[in-house]
Amino acid sequence: MLVYKAFFKIIQKNILQILIYIVIFLFFVVLIANTYTDPTNMDFKESKVNTVFINHDEDSKLLEGLKEYISQNANLIDIPDDIQKLQDALYFREVEYIVKVPKGFTEAFMKGEEIRIEKTIVPDSASSVYMDNLINKYLNTARLYISSIENLSQQQLVNYIGEDLSHETEVLLFNPDPEKGKNIRRMYYFNFLAYSLFAILILGVSAVMIVFNQPDLRKRHSCSPLKLKNMNFQMILGNISFAILVWLIMIIPSFIMYGDYMFTKKGLLFLLNSIIFTLPALSISFLIANIVKSKNAISAASNVVSLGTCFISGVFVPRDFLGETLLKFASFTPTYWYVKSNHIIANIDRLKEEDIRSILTGILIMLIFALTALAITMVIKKKKYTGQVSGS
Amino acid sequence: MYNNILGVFILVIKVDNLTKRYGNLIALDHFNLEVNQGEIFGLLGPNGSGKTTAINCILSLLKYDKGTVEIFNKPMAPDAYDIKKDIGLVMQNVAIFDELTVYENVDYFCGLYIKDRNHRRELVEQAIDFVSIGYYKDFYPKKLSGGLLRRLNIACGIAHQPKLIILDEPTVAVDPQSRSNILEGIQRLNKAGATILYTSHYMEEVEQICTRIAIMDKGRIIATGTKEQLKAMISSGEKIRVELFDMDDNILQDLKKLPHIVSVEYEDNFLIVKSSRGKNNLLAVLDYLKSNNIAFGKIYSEPPTLNDVFLEITGKELRD
Repeated sequence: MLVYKAFFKIIQKNILQILIYIVIFLFFVVLIANTYTDPTNMDFKESKVNTVFINHDEDSKLLEGLKEYISQNANLIDIPDDIQKLQDALYFREVEYIVKVPKGFTEAFMKGEEIRIEKTIVPDSASSVYMDNLINKYLNTARLYISSIENLSQQQLVNYIGEDLSHETEVLLFNPDPEKGKNIRRMYYFNFLAYSLFAILILGVSAVMIVFNQPDLRKRHSCSPLKLKNMNFQMILGNISFAILVWLIMIIPSFIMYGDYMFTKKGLLFLLNSIIFTLPALSISFLIANIVKSKNAISAASNVVSLGTCFISGVFVPRDFLGETLLKFASFTPTYWYVKSNHIIANIDRLKEEDIRSILTGILIMLIFALTALAITMVIKKKKYTGQVSGS
Repeated sequence: MYNNILGVFILVIKVDNLTKRYGNLIALDHFNLEVNQGEIFGLLGPNGSGKTTAINCILSLLKYDKGTVEIFNKPMAPDAYDIKKDIGLVMQNVAIFDELTVYENVDYFCGLYIKDRNHRRELVEQAIDFVSIGYYKDFYPKKLSGGLLRRLNIACGIAHQPKLIILDEPTVAVDPQSRSNILEGIQRLNKAGATILYTSHYMEEVEQICTRIAIMDKGRIIATGTKEQLKAMISSGEKIRVELFDMDDNILQDLKKLPHIVSVEYEDNFLIVKSSRGKNNLLAVLDYLKSNNIAFGKIYSEPPTLNDVFLEITGKELRD
């Protein structure tokens, strides 16, 4: 098994490049695990905005009511009416919203005249929009009563508004299966695995094949009593062992991160899909390795093929954002079918026959890709062999 | 030296009418070769004369159009593994793994022939010692000089102690010390019992180590024999070079009239006199200079070289 051992010694010499891709992979999967926000997350938590209420007008019932309403829905902070102090409080986010009622507000408002409450806010903050809505709701309700009922006292007005705004509607948030969000996260893990696995296989397999394909080394091997069949067998065994090793390294984090889930039907389907994807990735890597002629070309091929197929197949960008034409084009790559199957596995609630059929179709197509790439490689190798190294 | 105890030559390589074409170019034109057991056979020819093509065809590394090749009295073919196990190849280019150490490289190539690990270990150590690279056995090839790489290349080709060793220009771009080391090594391998087929375009090397030589040009063997036999084939004899500082046309004319003198030239303060075969040519030239009171400095008398043989047969220099 000399050739087999030499295969792994060459891999060992190129381990640094391979490690870079493994580190990138680990970085991304940890990033996904920690920062990915579930689009179906419906958690709601009420928060109150720190608000200052400054009244330059008289202490009217209307304004008392407004202040009371604000205090129920926000935290009223007591800060002296001093521009410097107010600006400091705003700058240091001690408060986020300052309400200033101008002089003569109550009188003008009760007469139905156009008058505005002044506000000082943290620019572009969500809290300011929330507070705007809150105050507008109160004042718009008051204006509706004033315009509808004549001779309405301020006390009556405040009572009406208080009654109207006290009504609450119970909102039930539709919360789908929380497991689904986790599945999406797992799907991203396995989708991203396609990129790293592909890149590492192209790098590793090409690094070895480019050495063994050197014309002078081929001559040395051809001169030796080592049979061509034996050498090809050891080479194929080396490639398969390397692919399985890389796949194992790639899936270990999934067991650490997702634990028992990986032994469920879905977890096992993700694993099955990924090991099947390893086959066309290996075959294509083998094909590329027999075409490229320099080490620089390996890096270029590795980046172009792995990144290119992953981009158009929806590894980095959700498939929904990709155009139909692009996806049709992507369907000529095994990555497309791998990602598609991952998507099905992640989104189904219960495995139906139809889903299994779709997944199996993806697997079958990936296997066809693997066989096709292998056949093309064999034809190229045979052509090279009969053209250059042969006897009559 | 290269016949068996009954005095019969044992053929190791026999090539008959080998023809190889690359389109319209005839790389080998009815190439014939016979190498006997125990000899160091030199294949001498300028670059592009077809030496490497011949080696590749002999080893079935290259398809050929016509002819037959026998090694150890058996027809050579790509799947003739029983023949291949007794052949060692050292190529013009260094063919090793940059990813393996010196020891691992020799062990790998030896392992293609020898399965037994203990036996292989011995052979690898011997091969490494043979080319004197023991100090570097844990080094990776990239850390070796050109000369050391060539030695490693040889160690990889001969570690399994083959009966036939084919060396294709193993000293190209090698420093003089390594070249001398390599040539001595080849002679030692031959003394140890290996038959050597050695290709080169350096006539000095071939003259130095080869017991028989074939001169090649344009894919054909144009002469074969020992170096003495080859030199005897041509009409020109020695070349006399005399350092002269004062020169005139009369001297040139007078010298041309001397017996056996073929040509007289004056170049870079040296008088170059070429003579045909005959005795006392040098003495006649010196007598002439002395009797005419012509002062002269250093004197060189050079016997004909293989280059002269090549020149006379093909009309061009071996180095062209």
